[in-house]
Amino acid sequence: MIIVLFLEKETPEPTLNALKEKVQNSGLVKDFQYTDAALAREKFLNSFPELRGVLDNLETNPFPPSIEATLEKQAMNTDTVASFIADLKNSDGVEDVQFNLEWVEKIQSFGRLARAIGFFLGGILSLASFFIISNVIKLNVMARQNEIVILRSVGATNTYIRIPFLLEGMILGMLGSGLSLLLLFLLIQLFPVYLGQALGALNELINFRYLSLGQCMWLTCGGAAIGALGSFSSLSQFLKT
Amino acid sequence: MIELYHIWKQYQKPNWALNDITFKAQKGDFYFVTGPSGSGKTTLLNIISRGILPTQGQIIIDGKNIQRIPDHKIYQIRRIMGIVFQDFRLLFHKKVFNNVALVLEVLGTPKKEIKRRVYNALKMVNLQDKMYSYPAHLSYGEQQRVAIARAVVNNPKIILADEPTGNLDPELAFEIMSLFNEINKQGSTVIICTHDRELIRHFGNKILFLYKGKLLREEFF
Repeated sequence: MIIVLFLEKETPEPTLNALKEKVQNSGLVKDFQYTDAALAREKFLNSFPELRGVLDNLETNPFPPSIEATLEKQAMNTDTVASFIADLKNSDGVEDVQFNLEWVEKIQSFGRLARAIGFFLGGILSLASFFIISNVIKLNVMARQNEIVILRSVGATNTYIRIPFLLEGMILGMLGSGLSLLLLFLLIQLFPVYLGQALGALNELINFRYLSLGQCMWLTCGGAAIGALGSFSSLSQFLKT
Repeated sequence: MIELYHIWKQYQKPNWALNDITFKAQKGDFYFVTGPSGSGKTTLLNIISRGILPTQGQIIIDGKNIQRIPDHKIYQIRRIMGIVFQDFRLLFHKKVFNNVALVLEVLGTPKKEIKRRVYNALKMVNLQDKMYSYPAHLSYGEQQRVAIARAVVNNPKIILADEPTGNLDPELAFEIMSLFNEINKQGSTVIICTHDRELIRHFGNKILFLYKGKLLREEFF
């Protein structure tokens, strides 16, 4: 995202330098570019050569000098940006600051909503995984009910009987998480390619990055835990007598 | 060793599967439980093994009130018992050796010891040559003997057998009952449910007669 600072026409050199310093040292700006009035006119003419006549008829150059600052992606917190813009607006030599904060806020709240929906769907999918795994294990337990009865009758502890089923549940859970992570990886790789330039400026805001190794491990462990819980709950009713 | 006090069991009203059963079996006793079908023999054995709980009454096994043992600790009582089921309950995807070894594996017995004891148990029932066969390849009588080997391999204090000679020819039934007699002589308390009068006449010295869930009489010879 870019902030454009339109400066007063006759901004003295020290004020301009102070402004540049302020922008550079803000910690929010990745890089910036100063465009003086003459360069702004030239840029305009390059973009709209057919309007040269109009400009030539003007006695003075209407374009103000400006500073274009590109914000760091991490600095997209609207509150920080808003206070930075307010600070710039009050600075000497600044006539106006152009930045669509409202739009950024909307995009960010859309992001928050998407995240909340993600968590909600994640919760539902976790529950679904729990029930699917517990039913798979239940079917397996029923198929091996005779073996469980025999093991119980010869003095096997519940833990001894449970361990193979728990391992099975954990492996199923881990495989499920692994497969989901693989699908997510493919989606993240393919989605931007599929959308191409359609995202336009949104590309700046939407960060298509894969999960970190730690997050992947947490998800895999979570899958294993859901699997273990699923098999634990489905086994309990078969270990009563 | 086994004490039952006023045991009542009702599966559904108004019939009583067991009706005020009280008896005591001492260490080394050999009991036959007999009676017609539906008299409560299997229910009685299931209650002693804590497969089911009685509706009323108390059961003391080896000094412990087994009704007070929670579900997850039933294994404690099962480890002093060897149970022979009417339908054998063998694992058909495991070899004879593994079926018998199961009892020792759950106790965490070392492999070498398992091998020795399983061999001895199978030798006792004369099946040492079929150690690596699958139960499906054995005759009915041989499967029955595998079930007996499994019940005795851990030298249990109590052996419970439900119709262990049902569907066997008299000769084989006699042979299997002799086996139980042998095991009993080694100190185990044996309780066998059967309605085979010939076997009871030959082997029985303590007999419980059940009829419609009631203990009609207890005979000692």
